Amino acid sequence: MATTTAQLVITSTDLLSDTLSLSAIATLTNSGSATGVTQTTGLSRTKTESNSQYTLYHGEVASFPFASQDQAAKIYIKNLSTTAAEFITIHINSEELGRLYAGDWAFIPWSVAADTSDIKITPSVTSALTIEHMVFFES
Amino acid sequence: MATTTATITLSSADIQSDVLALTKQATLNKAGTTTGLDQTTGLNKIIFTSVSAITLIPETAAGLNKAAKVYIANKSTDASEFVTITIHAQKIGKLYAGDWMFIPWSQIDGNDLKLTPSVATALPVEYMMIHEGITTA
Repeated sequence: MATTTAQLVITSTDLLSDTLSLSAIATLTNSGSATGVTQTTGLSRTKTESNSQYTLYHGEVASFPFASQDQAAKIYIKNLSTTAAEFITIHINSEELGRLYAGDWAFIPWSVAADTSDIKITPSVTSALTIEHMVFFES
Repeated sequence: MATTTATITLSSADIQSDVLALTKQATLNKAGTTTGLDQTTGLNKIIFTSVSAITLIPETAAGLNKAAKVYIANKSTDASEFVTITIHAQKIGKLYAGDWMFIPWSQIDGNDLKLTPSVATALPVEYMMIHEGITTA
């Protein structure tokens, strides 16, 4: 069993009149257990040069060898652009989740289900735009 | 303008043969700008006592395709307890005890952000949205 942690810290001194300093730490475990997830795609880097939609991760057992579908998985995606106007739009299947602007990242729980859970990205520009991404998942 | 940062740290000494120690920080800005997001729901805490799906955050036309970031955490300590997150009819994923998520949200028409607890016994959830574009008359 592996031990993998994901920590989030959100801070602001001026968003509210009270200082915001939120921290959350998750140990990434298999569904419904205290056993750590043991598989990962590794940290990947993808450069796009088209504003067509790409399937970043196929939601099928053939791609992610879960014992069954709908188990524990987490996705990390970051837009590495430094141009504020450049973004990627994330879809799950055909549903738009949101946009990651330059420098933004997301950490998303993912329920894999064949053909209905593909993770797709659509860059806003046809010039080079680079993202980093990674999936953690159980066996 | 406010300055709000979100930092993620992913760590593992043993999920692969190379140590994972990734830290990335984002400054939360309005769409396509370097101006900071200036509105928030604040940090909410709800203890759920039903397995019915509820709309955690309703979409609003004023927020359509503007920048919004949503944080949700399952604060249960029972490993078997989870919440299922959906947008419209699309399941996104499950947050197990102690899990959190941080996602961008486009607020497309009809795409309310919904949550379904796995148990009817008290299950605590925290959530917050930091955003632009929602101004009530």
